[in-house]
Amino acid sequence: MGRRLRRGQGKVKALNDLFIVLFGVVIILCFIVSFRLINIQSVIMLLIFNALFISLSFQLNGAFNVKLCLLASGNVIGFCWNFIFYSFATKGTLFFGKTFGILYTVFSPFLCSIWIVAFWSLSLTVLHREGTK
Amino acid sequence: MAYLVRHYIFTITVLRRANRNIKPAALEDSTFEPTVTLLIPAHNEEKVIGRLLQRITELTYPKDKLQVIVINDASSDQTGAIADNYRNKYPYIELLNRDKSNGGKGKASAMNDGFSKSTGEIVLCFDADYYPQKDIVEKLVGEFIDPEVGAVQGRVVVLNEPQNIITRLVALERIGGYRVDQEARDNLGLMVQFGGTVGGFRSSLLKDLHGWDEAVLAEDTDLTFRIYLAGYRIPYNIDAECYEEAVDNWKAYRQQRYRWAKGHMQCFFKHSWNVLKSKNLNVKEKIDGLLMLNVYFIPILALFSMFIGLYLILLGSQLIDTLWFFIPISVYCSVGNFAPFFEVGVGVYLDGRKRAQWLIPLLIFTFFYNIPICLKAFCDVTASKIMRRKRNVWVKTVHSGSGNCYIAN
Repeated sequence: MGRRLRRGQGKVKALNDLFIVLFGVVIILCFIVSFRLINIQSVIMLLIFNALFISLSFQLNGAFNVKLCLLASGNVIGFCWNFIFYSFATKGTLFFGKTFGILYTVFSPFLCSIWIVAFWSLSLTVLHREGTK
Repeated sequence: MAYLVRHYIFTITVLRRANRNIKPAALEDSTFEPTVTLLIPAHNEEKVIGRLLQRITELTYPKDKLQVIVINDASSDQTGAIADNYRNKYPYIELLNRDKSNGGKGKASAMNDGFSKSTGEIVLCFDADYYPQKDIVEKLVGEFIDPEVGAVQGRVVVLNEPQNIITRLVALERIGGYRVDQEARDNLGLMVQFGGTVGGFRSSLLKDLHGWDEAVLAEDTDLTFRIYLAGYRIPYNIDAECYEEAVDNWKAYRQQRYRWAKGHMQCFFKHSWNVLKSKNLNVKEKIDGLLMLNVYFIPILALFSMFIGLYLILLGSQLIDTLWFFIPISVYCSVGNFAPFFEVGVGVYLDGRKRAQWLIPLLIFTFFYNIPICLKAFCDVTASKIMRRKRNVWVKTVHSGSGNCYIAN
């Protein structure tokens, strides 16, 4: 019985480790692909998001795996967001000219801050703690 | 960047203390029951004054040590009649009527008038739209056991939060300010800001400081600095909660913020040099004090930096493209709406709220809304400095009594 329990615990631990590696790979891939397919600004955004999330959210309630999963999801969402808007801007600049590109440059930091703040805020719900309010 | 670092330190400090479950040392001495005067300035507050006075009668502090002065500041509605009704029923409630010739000149003027009639060793202030906890006097007064304490500040919580999107956003700002900012300042030994209400002073100190300065719109910030410069400190008691009726429309929001911005800028000109050369403040208090005095200049600087960035983009520099990216993001991260989003988020988390934080991204709109407000305040302060004008127009925040329905009977 004890041996079976230990074997089960070992399996869970191995699975946990596998997930940690998987999430780590996803995050690294998001950075590489952002740099190759989009631009340096998108990498900066991902860096800001990761710095904020790791330094603050990892101190909140919740399992380490859940936080890592949220971090990886945030990176994927950030990559998709940046990719969609970058493709939109590229096509827009082709059709409407340079002015469109400038407008995109002006507004893109605010557009990016929307997903960072929104995702971070939503993640607080997952990691919420019991309170009195 | 200084603001980003400051708010980040505040957030981490409060979060770590909460994780370690560190609670402030209790100042419990049941024998310490000084005489207390409650000052309640009221100008056309008929919709809320009855609610507060009823609550005052329910306070647990010994009534023989309590003096309540309602300052009816040239009201043209039923405020005076409602207060008079309570005065007739309860001997510790007094009514001070100010007519139109000497009243209606702003909160500082009304408070000075009320203070001249006070007899308590401690003076506490409550705005008419507030709704305190029953044992709030004990909680606030307990801090004065320490002779170094000159004033005390309690926590403000928004009463009418569910009313509309504006009250919800104001509630988030309040959480950032009172759950994280003030708490961190208290923990780190920095300058806790007296917020003008839900707090009080040592009467003798207030007399020495000659009461409230009527020439400053942010009379609370002004007193904060005068107290610290006099060598006293202001503790923050997070357990002493009081519920306020937040502004519920954009016009009232604009008027309130304009008053705060202009008042803060007046305080900047009045106290900056005194803070720098003060021997009663240590280096970190001086840095925090200067950052506090400068906070309403930041949206203006942000606006200028964004314009400069935009101009450089139009010149076509690739490097500027990347730099431009940092300006708005760092501005939003640094100040947001005077409390960056991560600070508000952590405050909401610490309060154990599940969904309030979903509105945090919308705070960016209030940040943009604050830019023209602060710009106008700056122009007005500069103009009055040049023209040597000292008179201020006090635009009172109108309270509709919409918070009444959120009080459980």
